[in-house]
Amino acid sequence: MTDSMRIARREFLRRSAIATAGAASAVYFPVSRISHARAAAPAAYMEAPMLADLVRQGKLPPLPERLPAADDILVVKPFEEIGQYGGTWRLVWKGPADFHAYGRENYDPVLRWPRDPHGPIQPGLAKRWQFSDGGKTLTLFFRKGLRWSDGAPWTVDDIIFWWEDIETNKELSAAPHVEWVVNDTPMALEKVDDSTIRLKFAGPNGLALQELAFHGNQWPLNFERFGFFAPAHYLRQFHPKHNKDVKDYKLFNEKADDLNPQRPAMTPWPVSVYRPGDAKLIATRNPYYWKVDPEGRQLPYIDRLELTLVENNEAVAAQALSCQVDMQYRNMDLKKFPLFVSKAKECDYRVIRWLSASGSQLFFWPNQSYGGDPVLRKIFQDKHFRIALSVAVDRAKINSVAYLDQGRINAPTVVPDSAYFVPAVAQMYQEYDPKKAAEHLDAAGLKMGPDGKTRLRPDGRPLEVTIETWLTGGSADLDAIQLVASDWSAVGVKAAVKTMSRDLYWPRATGNAVQIATWNGDRGIAPFVDPIYIFPFDERSWMAPAFGTYYKTKGRQGEKPVGPLAEMQAMFDQFKATVDRARQVAIGKRLVQMAVEECTTICTVGLVPVPLIVKNNFRNVPEHYTQDWIIMSPGNLDTVQFFFKKA
Amino acid sequence: MIAFVVRRLLAMIPTLVFVSIACFIIIQLPPGDFMTSLQALAASSGSGADKAAMDNLRHQYGLDQPKAVRYIKWIAGFPRGDFGYSFEWKRPVRELIAARLGLTVLLSVLSLALMWLVAVPVGIYSAAHQYSGTDNFITALAFLGLSVPDFLLGLIYLFIGIFVFGASVTGLFSPGLADVPWSAAKVLDLSSHLFWPALILGLGGMTQLIRILRGSMLEVIGQPFVRTARAKGLGERVVIRRHAVKVAINPLVSVMGMQLPQLISGATILGIVLSLPTTGPMFIRALTSQDMYLAGTFLLFLALMLMVGNLLADVALAWIDPRIRYQ
Repeated sequence: MTDSMRIARREFLRRSAIATAGAASAVYFPVSRISHARAAAPAAYMEAPMLADLVRQGKLPPLPERLPAADDILVVKPFEEIGQYGGTWRLVWKGPADFHAYGRENYDPVLRWPRDPHGPIQPGLAKRWQFSDGGKTLTLFFRKGLRWSDGAPWTVDDIIFWWEDIETNKELSAAPHVEWVVNDTPMALEKVDDSTIRLKFAGPNGLALQELAFHGNQWPLNFERFGFFAPAHYLRQFHPKHNKDVKDYKLFNEKADDLNPQRPAMTPWPVSVYRPGDAKLIATRNPYYWKVDPEGRQLPYIDRLELTLVENNEAVAAQALSCQVDMQYRNMDLKKFPLFVSKAKECDYRVIRWLSASGSQLFFWPNQSYGGDPVLRKIFQDKHFRIALSVAVDRAKINSVAYLDQGRINAPTVVPDSAYFVPAVAQMYQEYDPKKAAEHLDAAGLKMGPDGKTRLRPDGRPLEVTIETWLTGGSADLDAIQLVASDWSAVGVKAAVKTMSRDLYWPRATGNAVQIATWNGDRGIAPFVDPIYIFPFDERSWMAPAFGTYYKTKGRQGEKPVGPLAEMQAMFDQFKATVDRARQVAIGKRLVQMAVEECTTICTVGLVPVPLIVKNNFRNVPEHYTQDWIIMSPGNLDTVQFFFKKA
Repeated sequence: MIAFVVRRLLAMIPTLVFVSIACFIIIQLPPGDFMTSLQALAASSGSGADKAAMDNLRHQYGLDQPKAVRYIKWIAGFPRGDFGYSFEWKRPVRELIAARLGLTVLLSVLSLALMWLVAVPVGIYSAAHQYSGTDNFITALAFLGLSVPDFLLGLIYLFIGIFVFGASVTGLFSPGLADVPWSAAKVLDLSSHLFWPALILGLGGMTQLIRILRGSMLEVIGQPFVRTARAKGLGERVVIRRHAVKVAINPLVSVMGMQLPQLISGATILGIVLSLPTTGPMFIRALTSQDMYLAGTFLLFLALMLMVGNLLADVALAWIDPRIRYQ
């Protein structure tokens, strides 16, 4: 699928030029570009030694009987070189609440996010797709001869089972996911044959392809409880509708769980040994996996995954520093980077840095729908006020105090590796300029008070705001919040920081009770599958949660937004209603640009790198990459082609 | 004696019921529930479960029922050995605790044994040679041991292990040995992995015992019956061992009753630092994620441990000291 990652020099230079023109202090960086060349089908197929043994012993049918039809096998082009079979990939995880710790290595949805985020959605379980009827019908053509990891055939009935018995079953899902409900009507499924299905919507569904890459996995993906298919032949026996002896859904949930070793899967390494609470989780290669490399070797190259359970990031580091991991990308703290490097030689690993897909490590949202104080709400709604807050922040200082000078200044909520990146606004309102902040505050009618330190609100009271956060002492991000608060106080907006537990913070923030909310930024690559940070999308859009609730409930709850925020919501309606990708990207870019110009979100520094430890003989891992959970990093890099190189 | 033990055991039942109510109330004191905690965690670690999905899970797990109903359902399962359901691990609480209880008990017992094996001789020696160089040295060490928290020692151990010896010091087995069947090599490996945590865990209690024993010995040594023993012409060894220690050991036995739960809670933090598959890390995790039945059951077990520890100490006291009689 992919051949190599090369730095697009021209692109880099062009963007650097724009960046330099925008702000002299901004440092720009190469953007990862990975092409998506498809390889020709190989002449013959080979399998891993451990599976060949099983075939010899008669425990497994021969390889050709396990692979899909010859034309339908997915050929994955390795990133650097053709790999070798064998080895155990050791990782560290923090248990089931460590979201996706197991799921990201095993990313195999109906369609796939591309390796290069600028590229189009890639084929997965489905080999091709076709929109018809003006975008109201989507036909998915799946690979013929796909098999579950237990050898049972995979058919579109597994999708119908998910839709009828899980997704639209009130006991298991409160309501079908919004992407499958167009104009208040849930989609209808029409089976054409075992490998072809039609999805019929009440209107054009522009999000369908992206959602099939995002939510198209086997249900339920741990606590996420989304997906697009489930093994009907296995799960029916636990479903109260199909088995009258089963009374409730507890057993069904247990059996459908990703970590149940009995559950068949379509992923490269289904779980083989695990009981909840176990110190180790072992996942072993799927003998029926449906992908090969260009020379015909059935993938994955690596035999086994071994996940060691620990309690915190310090223990993750301890495991890594005692040479107990082969490739670890999760729960790695930037501040430990020098520590990781110090053991690189002894443990024979390399430390690489992937950028996190956050326009800013921290977002600050003056709540434009704040209900607690109408005067403050009016102030928060004033663009001048928000711009003043943005240019009052000394980002260089934050970068060096909190992020080892590794972050970059980047205004929009998307990052350069995103298809929706708008270079023209990349540096907007990011310069540190207290004088300009004062001008904007004056323009907002917030005059300096008699003490010469704090500005006054229109009602004559001193201008005081509260930043709320769930971050507690010791975190770099809380340091950054304190710095922002003091920068704001320095221009006359007296800012106090209130920290509380996450459980307390979350209901306050979603309940519209917070003046200035904060949260770690992410979703900077493909934001529109869940655009909460771009515009008021739902109660999690803390630039205006009440407006977001209004949008989500179609006006049944929340408050009606006006002005640019309402305009942005209408624009997203258009985004959803078109299946023309070029038009979507254009609308998306306009939305991103508006979000920046309106300064709805105040940024600090973003694109903070995440250190990864990769054994020197662990190959086919790119050095330059922007990771995000939405694209299931490193799932979109095809973990099946990672391998251990023998000396 | 038997009547006493039975009476005490019976008295535990109402206490446990009271404790269970207190536990249940305490674990529900923080605002929100497992689902809000999960949703916030999801959003912060990069995920997007929305409110509808969470409400649905809440219904599945019965979190939408009134607190009293939930309590009665929880407590009603106890006689059947059903301690409720863990939301995070999606398994009955009993299975989770059972899988980890063995190693927790092993570690605690090992640590308790180490504590006593070291503390008793050292304490006696220290008292018998009061204000000597060795006594002063032991006293200094004991105060150090009392004041350094065990998690710090755990961290130091971790640091030395990784950076000085380059060894795997976390977990209970060396890599490669965890999944193989039991053998001499595996037992040896386990004991080498358990020794240091057990020592670190016991160090605080050990120094405490040394100080208590030393104090109590000094008090006893000054008493008339010891002078009499000496006056009889008994050797110093006999005086100390046969006469003084027997009396001086009483406070140690009483302390032991309290040390059991202390060990378990100490093992919690150490378990987190050293990534030991004991119940401790799971307990803390359950508390922070509001996995209420798991956390509540752990709390109950701690309370039970305290009561059993006290009972055992009382019985041991009666057995050791013939002067003590229970009616």
